[in-house]
Amino acid sequence: MENALIPIHLLQGTALVWNMEDVRKIRQCHRLVGSLVGSLPRKPRQNARLGLPLQLLPEEARLLAEIRAAVLLRTVEHEKAAGGQDEGCDSEGSSSQGVEEVLLSEVAVYKQALNESYEEQWQLALQEKRSLLESLSEQIAQGRARRRHERGEQTGDPNQPANREDVKENFHFPQEAMMVQLPTARPAHSLTEVVDWQHPSPDWPHAGQLVHEIRYQVFRDLWEKGFFLTSGGKFGGDFLVYPGDPMRFHAHYIALCTVPDETLQLCDIVAAGRLGSNVKKTVLLCSAKQDGTVTYMSLQWAGL
Amino acid sequence: MASSCLGSKAQHQPPPPPRSAAGRLETLLQQRLAGRTESCCQIQPRRAIGAARTHAGRELPCASPAVAQLSCTVLELGTAASLSVHMAPKNFFQIILKSRTKSCACAERRSGSCCQRSVWSAFLGAILFCSGNLVKAEWKPREGLVELRSPAGKFWQTMGFTEQGKQCLLPEEAVYMLECGSIQLFYRELPLSIQEAYERLLSHKTVTLLQYQVYSHLKRLGYIVMRFNPCSVLSPYERQLNLESHHQSSGRLNHKRKRSSSSRSKNREENQTKRIPANDEICGRVANNDGSQSQLTSEQNSDWTKKESEEQCPTNEEEQTQDRSCAKLSPKVRDRPQSRTEDHISSKSFKTVERSKWDFVKIAFPNCAFDCSQTLYPKPYKDLLPENIAGQELDVSYWRLRVNQQREKLSRREREQLERECRYKKSVNADRAVRQCCSWQEYKQLLEQRNQQRRSKRPPHLWNDVISPLVQSEKVSSSASLLEQISILRSSHILDGAARPQENTEVMKIDFDVYQADAAANFKKSSPGKPYVRMCVRRFEEQVPDLRAVKQLTYQSEDVPVVFALVDNGDIAFYAFKDFKLPTDMYH
Repeated sequence: MENALIPIHLLQGTALVWNMEDVRKIRQCHRLVGSLVGSLPRKPRQNARLGLPLQLLPEEARLLAEIRAAVLLRTVEHEKAAGGQDEGCDSEGSSSQGVEEVLLSEVAVYKQALNESYEEQWQLALQEKRSLLESLSEQIAQGRARRRHERGEQTGDPNQPANREDVKENFHFPQEAMMVQLPTARPAHSLTEVVDWQHPSPDWPHAGQLVHEIRYQVFRDLWEKGFFLTSGGKFGGDFLVYPGDPMRFHAHYIALCTVPDETLQLCDIVAAGRLGSNVKKTVLLCSAKQDGTVTYMSLQWAGL
Repeated sequence: MASSCLGSKAQHQPPPPPRSAAGRLETLLQQRLAGRTESCCQIQPRRAIGAARTHAGRELPCASPAVAQLSCTVLELGTAASLSVHMAPKNFFQIILKSRTKSCACAERRSGSCCQRSVWSAFLGAILFCSGNLVKAEWKPREGLVELRSPAGKFWQTMGFTEQGKQCLLPEEAVYMLECGSIQLFYRELPLSIQEAYERLLSHKTVTLLQYQVYSHLKRLGYIVMRFNPCSVLSPYERQLNLESHHQSSGRLNHKRKRSSSSRSKNREENQTKRIPANDEICGRVANNDGSQSQLTSEQNSDWTKKESEEQCPTNEEEQTQDRSCAKLSPKVRDRPQSRTEDHISSKSFKTVERSKWDFVKIAFPNCAFDCSQTLYPKPYKDLLPENIAGQELDVSYWRLRVNQQREKLSRREREQLERECRYKKSVNADRAVRQCCSWQEYKQLLEQRNQQRRSKRPPHLWNDVISPLVQSEKVSSSASLLEQISILRSSHILDGAARPQENTEVMKIDFDVYQADAAANFKKSSPGKPYVRMCVRRFEEQVPDLRAVKQLTYQSEDVPVVFALVDNGDIAFYAFKDFKLPTDMYH
């Protein structure tokens, strides 16, 4: 179970993780953070805390794929078959009919599950009501006795047990009251295809791009040194480097990735250094060679 | 610390035999989670919470309520389904904070796993909803929209549209509502998970993931977000002609909302091709007007003012009254040449736009001044009066006595100002030649003659040749305008010349109209009014837009500010360009 690959789903070039168990594994076992981008169903009107899916940086996704902890997946477009169906082409041939059969069986399974679920919830609700009645039975009995007393009747007891039996017949559990789950992740058996992270494709356009390669080298090197990294757009850098979990720590460094052979503008360096000193972080200029060695240079604002 | 450790224990424990309620629940959930059936987890929530409580209580009898709740949430984590929706603890956030601080205090600094777990368990996970509260909707991939199968909820006030009598949602709206747990989305009879909804509904044809992230970010903050429709923005020319009402009646009612971007851009093109020739033809003539409204009235009033001035001219014999009345008269006099030249345009183009039902030519306003001999006024037309008021004949002589006819007393400052005006501003009526004119035509001719005389006095080598004076004395009214005339660098406005560069509008386009949240109470989808800002979604890696692009966007959005939303791996930042005018020295 531990060795199972984490599925990372690609959508328009973005790497998303939809299972929270995987999210936790990514964070705790692999020290990668990503960012949650979905609405939190319980508190949908705020942006402070978000829910699934977890969006990973391209570097994070690639790292996970490279250390064989995860696999990049894309959804197979069975839209074509579906499109044929939508247009109502009965003459489509056996394949679409096959799809339809599968569909029908799935619908049947779903309906059946829904019914079962209803039955079970009905039972549970009934139990709940019974236990409620039981716990309140004394009060009910007292109330009845009082009323009877007021009316001046004296015949009593036979009613009570009959009442408890009635509960089942009178019990109404409306269909609307049934709880249903809005699933987050897709069911496991739908069609997916593994995407190779080494070759560029519409779903994974990052492979082979110079900027991505350098960013990745830097990312991996810092990650191997035990740091936590998040994207550093907030501070005008490529990554923010944390000494521990970002939930606990402030970032210590702003990593700026540079292409080795490119000249840097002095203006940019000044801007970065100035910003870094203002936010009490150290700016790291990082560049990677072809063989994977990464060199770092830090900027310090000396007030001479 | 203690609490979260307990939580983890509870979670890692293998499911007990289905004797206890909690175990029963867990096994049930696990069975359900196996496949497609995931979508219909069944739990009676109160029961479940109670079960979880007892479960935790068995572990550690002295567990406090908070601990029980925490372990309950951990249980959710283990079974991928949170039990408590509506009974989610009110102090939800408090619990997390508490456990966090507790564990933070004692946990060693580097491994933050304990505190994380409790936070996570609370925040992640699918959720159960009462099926009666969910609006059922179906995804129609061919139309690219989501059709509601049961009546919409409160969200209908700000989202969705009606097409052929059916309530529909746009894909981004549907995905957002699904994420919020307000609708249940079906596709081919099966419910869609949020992941499937992302994959199917968000595409380059409808709304990209990037745009959706911005959309949901804004929606979560409470803003009303609509797709940007270029047709809804009036061109400056349209606004000048006051086509607004016409535009709304024709454009809005037929199809309430454009959906596909292709039809949108086509419409835009059509509009442009129609607009451009029209622009060249009429724009020059109309351009000097501030707005059609004032033009309309000035045109219709011109007859009236003319009459009035003719009436007043003979009465102005006394010099005493003249200096007061000329101040009143002068704006009218200024208006006249303009309204005169426009007579022919307005007669053509304004018949269609005419709003007022009054014909001011026929309506005579009574002159109750002291010098007017007529005192008996006839009954006013019935159709000019409100229904419940009856008009009657009136002799105003009585009223006239009660009007204060004393000369106005002026303060010293007012007197000084009047004096100054008298010294520097010459009344048109002071000119004997002007007063001799008995029609507009003659007045015009007089002005023309004078102009010619002035010109003939000029030295011939100036003005008529290449050489001309740097400053034309007639045009200089103040030192500021003089400076502006001789300045070499001129400041420009962002919209200057923006009408022309329209070739590559595809490079950048506005994505959303954003309306402020506090307008939600009286917000109407059919006439949303002017948005608060317009939003343009960009990738963080993309270049900063150049001046040309900014110009185009500003031109597209008219007077509503354009804000750029940058998406950096889920983080969204907003920025905008603002037009800035350098301050000028007034007393230069």
